[in-house]
Amino acid sequence: MNDPVESRNLIDLDAVSRSFGAIRAVDGVSFQVRAGEVHALCGHNGAGKSTVVKMITGLVQPDGGRILINGDESPIRSPQEAQRRGIALVDQELSVVPILTVADNILLGGMDEPFVNRPRAARARVRELLDLVGLADVDPTDSTADLSMGGRQLVEIARALGRRAKLLVLDEPTATLSSNEIEHVFTAVRQVAASGCGVIYVSHRLDEVLELCNRVTVLRDGKLVDTAEAKTIDIDQLVSMMLGDIAPAPVPSLPDAGRGAGRAVRIKDLSVGTRTSGFGLEASHGHVYALAGQVGSGATEVLRAMAGLEPTAYGLVEIGGKRMRLGSPGAAVKSGVSYLSNDRKGDGLFLGLSARENLISTRLRKVSRGPFINMAALRKTAAKLIGIIRIGTERLPEPVLNFSGGNQQKIFLGRTLEVPEIELLLLDEPTRGVDVKGRIEIHNLIRDAARDGTTVIFASTEIDEILDLADDIVTMRSGRIVGRHPRGEVDTELLLAEMTHGRPEGATS
Amino acid sequence: MSGATVGAPEQAAVSRGARKTILLVLQVLVALAAIIVVIGAATTEGFFSVHNLQAILASVGFVGIVAVGMTVIMISGSFVSLSLGTQAAVTAIFFVWALKFGVAQAIVMTVVVGTLLGAIQGYAIGGFGANPIVLTIAAVAVLEGLVVVFSSGGTQTPPDDSYTFLNSTIIGLPVTFFVMIFVVACGEFIMRRTRFGKSTYMVGDNRDAAYSAGFPMAAIGAGVFGLAGAAAAVAGIMLGAYNQGASLLLTGSLTYDAIAATLVGGTLVAGGKGSVWKTLVGAIVIATITDLLLLRGYSEGVQIMVKGLLVITVVIVVHLRSQGTRA
Repeated sequence: MNDPVESRNLIDLDAVSRSFGAIRAVDGVSFQVRAGEVHALCGHNGAGKSTVVKMITGLVQPDGGRILINGDESPIRSPQEAQRRGIALVDQELSVVPILTVADNILLGGMDEPFVNRPRAARARVRELLDLVGLADVDPTDSTADLSMGGRQLVEIARALGRRAKLLVLDEPTATLSSNEIEHVFTAVRQVAASGCGVIYVSHRLDEVLELCNRVTVLRDGKLVDTAEAKTIDIDQLVSMMLGDIAPAPVPSLPDAGRGAGRAVRIKDLSVGTRTSGFGLEASHGHVYALAGQVGSGATEVLRAMAGLEPTAYGLVEIGGKRMRLGSPGAAVKSGVSYLSNDRKGDGLFLGLSARENLISTRLRKVSRGPFINMAALRKTAAKLIGIIRIGTERLPEPVLNFSGGNQQKIFLGRTLEVPEIELLLLDEPTRGVDVKGRIEIHNLIRDAARDGTTVIFASTEIDEILDLADDIVTMRSGRIVGRHPRGEVDTELLLAEMTHGRPEGATS
Repeated sequence: MSGATVGAPEQAAVSRGARKTILLVLQVLVALAAIIVVIGAATTEGFFSVHNLQAILASVGFVGIVAVGMTVIMISGSFVSLSLGTQAAVTAIFFVWALKFGVAQAIVMTVVVGTLLGAIQGYAIGGFGANPIVLTIAAVAVLEGLVVVFSSGGTQTPPDDSYTFLNSTIIGLPVTFFVMIFVVACGEFIMRRTRFGKSTYMVGDNRDAAYSAGFPMAAIGAGVFGLAGAAAAVAGIMLGAYNQGASLLLTGSLTYDAIAATLVGGTLVAGGKGSVWKTLVGAIVIATITDLLLLRGYSEGVQIMVKGLLVITVVIVVHLRSQGTRA
């Protein structure tokens, strides 16, 4: 890659500010992105990254300062205008339409597209774009539904490039991807930058940031901390820039084994549809189990089956010695199962309702006398819970959609805390899209729940998280178990090997 | 933590600037309309009279009672029931028929029947995910068919006049008005202060989340539509008494008027937000404007058109505003 230092600025943020009500989300932030560079934007949830991204892409207008695109300082009034001026956003939530073909998805929403489609010309252009992002073996007429999550993310990047974007904004592009898919995205991003575009790369994964990016801009509490050359700093320095004076909490120490004797949960020959089969696990009280697998490994399906959300699931699940009926979320809850999906906005939180209502949504009975809500008990319980998850009590009446991703996830988890009926806590990607600090807090909360005797089973694609949090690790691939390891007897390499190309248990039979 | 701003960027159908402009224009229009209404009221002879006020409040009664049920349905995220008006007429016929068992018995029986009629529909909608619009249209056909089979479609007349106390007035207002106030109070209490009410808001806000969390969807659906059915039955009782007899013709425009009142009251079409007493305000606003148009001698066509414009405006304003808070 050519040295971008001499290149011109594609975009220049000059003391940009934006407030929402009383909260100053972004306060006098300045940085520049040059042609040919990958520029990381780092900071905790709530540091102002998303607001900066929204201002660059025209979704939010700054109320102070200016944004110059190629030296032109006219305001970016709408996403359409941003697109016209060469800015393309690849969002952290996938916006590809699975039922359309790859070509249709790439052309979707492009304002330059002719009203009447010219298939042949379009196909040639799509071919070029697919090659550019490394999807050389994908045909434009393939169905997008057949692609992996990583493939879909690459299709989105191709779409952005197809709009002749000069500046590509990637917001958490790897949050949902597995390690080898991330490599493809990296390759694509590097190629895009080498072709003379600028890339703004928003990510919580700091190792990624340092590996991929030329420069890093760090935000904290809406203010600029610094813009640094990625070569000149290491992860520890980056973390301390993001955290400021707050020292990162220590990694939770190993739990004392043997606490809570006896099996709490017994799973035998659990299968979901035809893809996931023969899952078995004997789990004891107070232990945390990880299902380690890449996207598509079947770990998500196993959790959903135990939560009663997979109608095609069959097999044996016993909780406290009692067999649980599969296929009904109500039955699962009655058996003491609580499940947090990996999609907190889709089938997780009640976004339009307040933090208070979300926190008590799983314990309405607890705060009721007969059919009537005891308002005093409700308020007290919610105040206590929001304290446990370390969010200010004054935010209880706010609708959950106002909260940052990390805080939303904490509220989501908060629903299940302090409910003694919960025997088994199922978590799918418990820290997806959550920053370092929020992640430590969430891990501690999960540990606390286990300490109180709950059995925890979580699925994750992130090796760091698995090694940090789990007492026992079950690796999965292609819908089957590959290996089982107690904590301390595995390392990153072995895990990654089993997750990517391990031989499934009973694969020969 | 200061995290008030973060969330996935919404893919807005209308750009931010355009939305603000539309919102502003509409709000100015609403303000202008309000001024016109006030001036119109001031210059219309007989508007500010006790008698007219009584007339307005009296006219709210039937619609207000049905609209309580409609509001609960809309909050639960099941859009609307198109069968509530028919249910009111059917229960009115049942009430008049049941008067032969005594008026108190007839009232209780009618409310029970109404609740069941609603609960059956709600069970299918909540438990099996039936489309509420399609299902309630079908319910209308079934109910009308049943009535024609059992009563050959004629008018049911009461066996005696034991029910006439329902038509009396207290301080110049019909009993129906007080019944409506009672139904609104009950509805508001149930929605705010019971486990069922809270669950209903949650189901309306995010159905998938409620299902994943193990909420009893069928029971909540049955409860919501059962409650609406009970409200429709109360309206049916009052309608039967008021008309001294009942036939399917009583349905009138009750369903649509109830939907209009609910929407003007600001309940979110998608569910999760709204309140019963605001629907009452919506019903009174509609009744006031209708009354004014009537006093000034406008035709029924104009009255209906104005009602439609009002509903459209409020729906757009509510929608744009709720988008604004999500930005």
